[in-house]
Amino acid sequence: MDKSVIVCRCEEISYEEIEEVITQGGRTFDDIKRITRCGMGACQSKICSKLVAEVIHKQTELSMEQIYPPRFRMPISPVSLEALATDSQQFSTVKSVLDEIELTDGKVK
Amino acid sequence: MHIKEHPILGEQLNKPITIYLNEQPLEAYDNQSIAGALMANNVKKLGQSRKLVQARGMFCSKGRCCSCYMTVDGEDHVKTCMRKVRDGMKISEGLEDPELRRDIDEG
Amino acid sequence: MKADVLIIGAGPAGLTAAYEVAKTGLCVLIIDEHQQAGGQLWQQSQILALPDIFPNMRGFELAQFLVERLEGLAVEWLLGHRVIGVYEDGQIGVTNDKDVFPVFAEKIIIATGAAENAIPFPKWTLPGVMTIGAAQSVVNRDRVKPGSSAVIYGDNSFASDVCELLLSVEVNIVAIVKQNKQLGNSTFGDMNIPLYENSSIIEARGNGKLEEIDIQTPHGMITLKPDIVLIDGGQSPILDIVYQLDCALRYQAELGGWLPVYNHQLQTSKDHVYVTGNATGVSNHSALILTGMLAAASVCEALQSLPPEETEVVRNSLYSKLENEEESDTFSARKEHIKQFSTPQLKDQFIS
Ligand code: FES
Ligand code: FES
Repeated sequence: MDKSVIVCRCEEISYEEIEEVITQGGRTFDDIKRITRCGMGACQSKICSKLVAEVIHKQTELSMEQIYPPRFRMPISPVSLEALATDSQQFSTVKSVLDEIELTDGKVK
Repeated sequence: MHIKEHPILGEQLNKPITIYLNEQPLEAYDNQSIAGALMANNVKKLGQSRKLVQARGMFCSKGRCCSCYMTVDGEDHVKTCMRKVRDGMKISEGLEDPELRRDIDEG
Repeated sequence: MKADVLIIGAGPAGLTAAYEVAKTGLCVLIIDEHQQAGGQLWQQSQILALPDIFPNMRGFELAQFLVERLEGLAVEWLLGHRVIGVYEDGQIGVTNDKDVFPVFAEKIIIATGAAENAIPFPKWTLPGVMTIGAAQSVVNRDRVKPGSSAVIYGDNSFASDVCELLLSVEVNIVAIVKQNKQLGNSTFGDMNIPLYENSSIIEARGNGKLEEIDIQTPHGMITLKPDIVLIDGGQSPILDIVYQLDCALRYQAELGGWLPVYNHQLQTSKDHVYVTGNATGVSNHSALILTGMLAAASVCEALQSLPPEETEVVRNSLYSKLENEEESDTFSARKEHIKQFSTPQLKDQFIS
């Protein structure tokens, strides 16, 4: 495969960059993620996780079942901070604090 | 191109509406996704990537890949494959990260 | 918000499970990120092979049928809502993009399905390169022609249905490119589409959109000028929610890769969490329906709305139907997966 091919669409990380991390001893998705930002884009590795596993598999002696999927963290899909801070069923401290903040010239008063 | 007569689903019965891409009016139908309606108008480039500044368009159409991010009625980073069109909607390309301070400055 | 049973995903498996559970008098809450229940069925205009309890119908007809069947039952809907995480106390965090709120349920059925895999090649990020499922939904959901000439690239798991669909809306299919090791170029099916096997796309080019691709074939390189390339890379179960719920996982290549371990009851390593449909391994439409019924039966048994003896009979008959209707490789992988329930390869992975 052409080494310049983009593996992670969101962060635009190439095969070559991933290979480099593996040469340095990286073995897991999270190793690659921490060094290159691969998987930290808008889709949160929904598209690249399997592709990265295939690169690791090709470059190392590891079988596919030895390559764990990356960690999935909250929020599972993008959500605005305002929605995240709002809880219509219960009193939300975060939201109420945000609502109280008054701004002048882009700065908190 | 819009499919007016679908071989299985039959005739397009939804209402025709107008959406605006950078002020330019385009024909769409109720219930279409924004990305789909743009594709019908031969608009494939929906935005550009942050690092290498390359064109991006619809990829998964399932709300997973985020390649279809655009600015819709002032809201940045809208997944246009999942959001439906609305008459008079104003759309522009997703070109960069949103300017976080904008609302504050304007308000 | 509260329910006896929370079902995440309103596709064929989730809707089937909802019916079977609600029928026994339990109260069901269904969450789906789309405004309309039915999941990918709305995009499937082909006639589906279904278990003998259903007549054969097209995907969107099945969606309509499964939704209408729920009328009058104790089913609440949260359409246009997404699960974005799990609270510390186990409640599910749900958002409608205005608000985030917790949902509590005795039992959870995960019916989040599968997602398409990608096949990368240089410049696959150009607009015009998309998944084959995306092209299908553009035609059937948006009623839009995705392009005028297409190349299909991949393992052909669902290419023939989509080929027919594309041809019927006058999208010209200029080639099908497969990476498999078969030798020789021929044509695909009776549709006379050029087929390049043991070949791959080595580069795409275009200014702001796809204009040209190079294909390496065993007989040399060819250049084509399609305006869309449709990637058919197969599917894998969606993991995000089971991962957040801390369900243990195992790798099972035939079922699509990583997926939660589950037992005969389709119960995961977390007692209150069950899986169904493509989330239990990528399979055909019959399996989606049958696993929907299986998960529902087990949940009803656990909540005592079905007596255990009766459940056992139901389950056995569903498994024997599944064995008949599912590809035999898939079914044996599933049996193997169930056998390995207590030896997951990844567990306790979630540290909040
Ligand atoms: S493709 Fe890697 S984070 Fe989206
Ligand atoms: S095309 Fe993938 S999120 Fe819209």
